Amino acid sequence: MTSAPVLSGSRLTKRFGATTVLSDVDVSVAPGETVAITGPSGSGKSTLLHCLAGILRPDEGVVRLGAERVDTLSEGARTALRLQRMGFVFQFGQLLPELPAVENVALPLMLAGASRRAAVHRAASWFPALGLAGLELRRPGQLSGGQEQRVAIARALVAEPAVVFADEPTGALDSTTGRQVVELLCGLAVRTGAALVVVTHDPDVAAACHRTVALRDGRVVGSGIAA
Amino acid sequence: MIALALRLLRLGGRRAWTSAGLVGAGVAVATTLLAISVGALHGLDERESRTGWRTPAEAATGTDPVALLRLRTDFAAGRPITQVDLVAPVAGATPPPGLPRMPAPGEVWVSPALAELMGTLPAGDLAARYPGPATGLVGDAGLQSPDELVAVIGRPAGDPVLLAKGGSDVVPVAAFDRTGDGVSTADLYRQLTIVAVALVVFPVAGLLGASARLSAARRSERLATLRLLGASTRQVTVVAVAEVTAVATVAAVVGVVLEAVLSPLVALIPLAGSGWFAADVRPGFLPCLAIVVGVALLATASAVGGLRQVVVGPRGVARRQRPQGARGLRLLGVAAALVVLLVVNSALPVVSVDAAGVVFVLVILAMVGAVALIGPLVVRVVGTRMAARARSVPGLLAGRRLLDDPKGAFRPLAGLTLAVFVAGFLAPMTAAVAGVSSVDATTLQVTAPPSEVAGLVQTTRARLAAIGLPATVSTVGDTVAVLPRDPAGLDRARTVLDGLAPGSVAQTEAEARHEDTVLTADLGRGALVVLVATFLVAATATGTAAAARVLDHRHTLRLLTLAGTPLAVLDRARRAETVRPLLVNGAIALVLGLFCASPFVAATAALRPSGLLTLGGVLVAGTALVLAATAASRPLLRSVTAPDQERSR
Repeated sequence: MTSAPVLSGSRLTKRFGATTVLSDVDVSVAPGETVAITGPSGSGKSTLLHCLAGILRPDEGVVRLGAERVDTLSEGARTALRLQRMGFVFQFGQLLPELPAVENVALPLMLAGASRRAAVHRAASWFPALGLAGLELRRPGQLSGGQEQRVAIARALVAEPAVVFADEPTGALDSTTGRQVVELLCGLAVRTGAALVVVTHDPDVAAACHRTVALRDGRVVGSGIAA
Repeated sequence: MIALALRLLRLGGRRAWTSAGLVGAGVAVATTLLAISVGALHGLDERESRTGWRTPAEAATGTDPVALLRLRTDFAAGRPITQVDLVAPVAGATPPPGLPRMPAPGEVWVSPALAELMGTLPAGDLAARYPGPATGLVGDAGLQSPDELVAVIGRPAGDPVLLAKGGSDVVPVAAFDRTGDGVSTADLYRQLTIVAVALVVFPVAGLLGASARLSAARRSERLATLRLLGASTRQVTVVAVAEVTAVATVAAVVGVVLEAVLSPLVALIPLAGSGWFAADVRPGFLPCLAIVVGVALLATASAVGGLRQVVVGPRGVARRQRPQGARGLRLLGVAAALVVLLVVNSALPVVSVDAAGVVFVLVILAMVGAVALIGPLVVRVVGTRMAARARSVPGLLAGRRLLDDPKGAFRPLAGLTLAVFVAGFLAPMTAAVAGVSSVDATTLQVTAPPSEVAGLVQTTRARLAAIGLPATVSTVGDTVAVLPRDPAGLDRARTVLDGLAPGSVAQTEAEARHEDTVLTADLGRGALVVLVATFLVAATATGTAAAARVLDHRHTLRLLTLAGTPLAVLDRARRAETVRPLLVNGAIALVLGLFCASPFVAATAALRPSGLLTLGGVLVAGTALVLAATAASRPLLRSVTAPDQERSR
């Protein structure tokens, strides 16, 4: 991957009170690239993801999405940026239990201003590719854990974001389902040209990505290209 | 398991304490209102026990009465004075409550408030009407309230005052501790108070139930975990019961204490022309204990009902699979309520005053039941339409949430819906009684035997001239009318007439209708008090429910915000899911309220200005309340969706 990074964080430092959670971290992600951020609990993985996604503002350092500087934007502007140019997959509980699966997927499009009919139509078009055909009108409670995560992946990708962030996306799944989900996530991200940043404990998930960034005590202690 | 439940609550952190605080707030407010309601009935009992001596049981023919008693209503400074003329033929007889002994002829015993008034008014305006200066004060035991004006005057046997026109008949008293059988104004007030209490108690019970189910999701998650770990149905139930019972019991005690603290303020609300002794409106120890136990049991039962799903099968809660429906069978209940109303309506003409309150309560119970049954159905219909027609995210979210759990969505709205029902019920009534035309309040009239009218006119003119009080004195039949040129001279003119025709009742037309006027004012005030109480219930229910919902769904709300959903969208969805079903339910409740009042007064009376004012005020206040209640939990929403909340989860 040699193209200009779609997302970059340079010299990122973040403190919570007296604790320095991130220290001088550099990371960049190219379009279509999949990057796993690994490390033990408390190493700063999720904090790094939150800083890169504009959820948290780093105390020091710069975050850019393309040419746009993210860390200096207002809270409202960062929220809008996340809606328009980023997608998210969390470990669990991200789907609205009251909405059918297809409407959960259509939400980002509607929030961005698409009509309901168009949003639902486009959302439904993602279901076959994710092996969810026929489940469009099921509510999250009527889906298995793996199916729920696939719906969440569809929701993260439906608005064709520049970057998808996934925070322990397989943490609540068994290993077989987890592997299927991460393969799907990586494959779809590459196919749509979106960069993917995955925070994970799971070596299998890391192995499915193009590159790995290892953190320990808030510092990058290693990075490498997956085998 | 009880210890475990309390430990889970204690160690649950800020979220658990906030949830418990919301439950406690709802239960405490409900208990306070319940205690005030019980206190009102207790107060009426106390009042009646202290004033019953004025309408005593009559001595049987052939037996010696302990006294002869005659009542009349006098006026001074625009306030009514209850004057009790007593003849005590038996020396040493037991006196009325509040008096140390039976008054001797010529003695004047006055209430503290009357003594104060006599001290502030010129003698010619009041004190000169009595045979002498005040002998002593009537004690609290003989008074309706601390501000009541009462004069007890000892009269000699055969005093012509006893036979003068205008007062009550002379009653031969059997004993002062036994009350007569006749229907009195007190009975009417009792029935009206029962109705008012019923109008408040049902929404209060609803608030109790809703409060106990607040944060059910938090408890359900935890209890579902216990169930998945292998806890038995009984163990899970005990854990559920222990937490809610503990919080509800503490909150109920707080509510009762709050009522005691507020009782001096409650005692200022006048009824039947005067306020209350603060102790009267405080229920006794045993009623308070019953309230606390009852509230704790009701809250517990409601919480257990809410947890039924966990008890039956934990996966039902851990992974909600089916929406909580609201079945059309509820319409049968509504039909049954309407049948009750029709039956009562047809039986109403033959119902006695004593039973009227109970009949009213039945009607209200039926209608409240109808509103509670139909509410979730209406929410379901509104949710279906919203979800089908939504073009925006807030509309879609609101519609789907309403459809997902219509009963849960209606619960916080129940109080406000009932408040609108109450407004619909009371608006035509208050408008009808307020429609009484104004009457003359400046001309005193006194009735005299026809043969004495001409002489009375002459002497009245002469006496008024002598004291320098210009007035027009005229006659209509056997009535002498006195119109002082200066309205401030009304009481002096009354004193003159009282002296010329002892025992007669010199009143203006307005004063003659004083009881009706007081009743009208009491109805209006009572309606207002009931509305304020029901709105307080509604405000508490909507406010705590909105906050609890944020806490229950905080994880999903937070993730949505992280993914870029603007907070304003979530806020608009919260507003929409409350306001729209409320407006539809409110309209239905309003029609039911008007319908419910129809056996007593034409519903069209609500279209009079005061009725429209009541209805308009309620609708505006109700909508504002919902918006305010939702807005009040916005800081909480902002707080739980803040990015740095993840670590505290």
